[in-house]
Amino acid sequence: MIKYLATASLLLAGTYLSTGPALAADPGITDTEIVIGDVEPLTGPPALLGVAASIGHKIAIAEANAAGGINGRKIKYVLEDDGYVTARTIQGVKKVTDVDKAFALLGISGSGQSIAVMPLLEKAGIPTVIDVAPVKFLWEPPRKNVFVVGQSYEEGIIHLVNYLADKNPGKKWGLITQDDDYGITVRDGFDTVVKAKKLNVVYSGNYKKGQQDFSSDMLQLKDSGAEVFLAGGIIGENIAMMKELEKLNIKPVVGIFWPGRVEPVLKLMGPAGDGIYAVDYVEPFAGAAGKAFLEKAKGLLPEAEMKGVNRYSMTGYAAAKVLISAIERCGKQPTWACTITELEKTKNVETGIMAPISFGPGVRFSNQKLQIMQSEFSTLSFKPVN
Amino acid sequence: MRTGDFKQTYGELVTLVDSPPVWLWSALLVAGLIAAPFVLNSYALSFLMIIMITVVGALGLNILTGYTGLISLGHVGFLVTGAYAYAVLVSKYQMHPLVGFLGAGVVPALASLIVGAPSLRLKGLYLAITTLAFSFIINTVILEARWLTNGARGISVQRPEIFGLSFEGDAAFTYLCLGFAVFTLFATLNIRRSRVGRAFVAIRDNDTAARVMGINLHAYKLFAFVTSAFITGLSGALYGIYLSFVSVEGFPFLLSIEALAILIVGGLGSALGAVLGTILIVLLPEATRLVFSLFSAQMDAMFTTGAQELKSMLYGLVIIMFLRFQPRGLVGAWHDIRRIWVNWPLRY
Repeated sequence: MIKYLATASLLLAGTYLSTGPALAADPGITDTEIVIGDVEPLTGPPALLGVAASIGHKIAIAEANAAGGINGRKIKYVLEDDGYVTARTIQGVKKVTDVDKAFALLGISGSGQSIAVMPLLEKAGIPTVIDVAPVKFLWEPPRKNVFVVGQSYEEGIIHLVNYLADKNPGKKWGLITQDDDYGITVRDGFDTVVKAKKLNVVYSGNYKKGQQDFSSDMLQLKDSGAEVFLAGGIIGENIAMMKELEKLNIKPVVGIFWPGRVEPVLKLMGPAGDGIYAVDYVEPFAGAAGKAFLEKAKGLLPEAEMKGVNRYSMTGYAAAKVLISAIERCGKQPTWACTITELEKTKNVETGIMAPISFGPGVRFSNQKLQIMQSEFSTLSFKPVN
Repeated sequence: MRTGDFKQTYGELVTLVDSPPVWLWSALLVAGLIAAPFVLNSYALSFLMIIMITVVGALGLNILTGYTGLISLGHVGFLVTGAYAYAVLVSKYQMHPLVGFLGAGVVPALASLIVGAPSLRLKGLYLAITTLAFSFIINTVILEARWLTNGARGISVQRPEIFGLSFEGDAAFTYLCLGFAVFTLFATLNIRRSRVGRAFVAIRDNDTAARVMGINLHAYKLFAFVTSAFITGLSGALYGIYLSFVSVEGFPFLLSIEALAILIVGGLGSALGAVLGTILIVLLPEATRLVFSLFSAQMDAMFTTGAQELKSMLYGLVIIMFLRFQPRGLVGAWHDIRRIWVNWPLRY
């Protein structure tokens, strides 16, 4: 009996593991289905981003499927968790491309993770639309099959600091950043404006990734007399900073960046988070476009998943819309080559939740228009101010 | 009648492999591994690569923790140092990949002198905490030395080309990893049966008795640190190449714990144990997913979308089970099976 079980297991494993390269030119398409793959951090702290982005993809896919799919084929969405570990992202991409035979990819985890899988994506040639972490390396130099929806962190920071500088002339500035790639990007953007506008920076701090206690940093900020403060944390760090400022009874003008511009963060900040400024390229949920998006999501998602919706659901939705529309334009027999060509031809595609999306020959980055928003604690929302 | 596997001479005791069938099985295994890239898809091949790379690192840690009994919680520090040494030499200064691999071994080995020297008088928990602190210091040094390491931005690493042989493809890179794994396995097996290896084991079993026998504890402990760091650095270089991008974020602290788990599950102090432990720990989540997917698509989806949490739980569960029911690890289980096979139907 054991021998039979062992033989059966070996045969099963062998069949599973030895499915070699696809015989068809482009995998992931049957008469009834098109497979779209995605690898996201669905567990651990970055899950706040990864889960939300995957929900955005699901909304766009459900919407397309409800309308009959892509030229009659239903979209099958295959999602893998990488836990924000680079080695697992690589394995995840290999799984969705080699085992699940995805026709195209969406999302692709965080910035470091998507950078690491770039050679793999380029070599495979699979059409990919990245939406979670837009960093320059992903579109400079442009890769034939990789497209990025969003705006660069540098541009975001420059836009935010310019706005705050114009609104608060002659004020003293403070900045704190994380000791990683994200932090360096924030600092680079900040320094560009400091030079151009000759800002008076009285406090400049750097914190270790994972730091939770900001009492000393915020005390130094208070002692420096900073009146405008750029909180360069991502999620939990910004909450801890705002709580400390509340304890110290000081309320400088505060600017945060879009990874932390999610409603649960505002809730956790409490009243201390009221009136902070944020920069983003997707519409706030408080506006008409945001409300319309939530309404659409309600009709297409199970109730449990609605809790995970945040701004990353919007970026995910937009990326999926662009990809689906490109495949659709390829007609009854879509191929990778055609999908890539159609993605390149993307011109002013309306998603309703951000400025129209365009790519072009050698242009793989959508370069979205930015806007400044201000938080309102009483309604747990962000509202546009310009 | 043969009643067991007994060594009658000193030569038999130190021989690398004591029976022709073991050579035969080993040769068949290597032949199978050489054939693997021709039959496995890219996803399955990625597991093979990870296994080979991890085997190198686990064998490196095994010299320090398994053979010499010095517990290290900071081996990821040597891993990341090796990866950066390779990336800086090859990607930044365009040196030959072989120079890169040499640097990936030598730089962590030198770093191990810095952590090893003050640790010579430490044992157990104190040594574990010292090595843990070392891994944090290394990360800080890498982040601060931007002029050399690009700080947090990391360094992109290409697959190497050595003497006209390109390791760009997955199959070729798997062979490179296999070469390193086989070489490291032979090296560590030979260290184990040499005078140095026996001194390591003597220190592990009772360092006071070892000193009485004339073993220079400081020199041998330091040698264990250096050898272990050298091998772990090579593993780091391979891992960096596999990731194609070296940054401190790609080398989380949990890798140190995973490496210790591999040794415990495989069987502490055994090279074969390090190999078996690696295979089990790397393949466990995938094998479990495969089995569960037979029952329902929902279970398959659960493993796919909550993979990391489930994997952590599985690792924890397996370690607890091994510590409780088979503390000698997979190697111990294998020895038990062999004994039962030889002695059957007798109990002993």
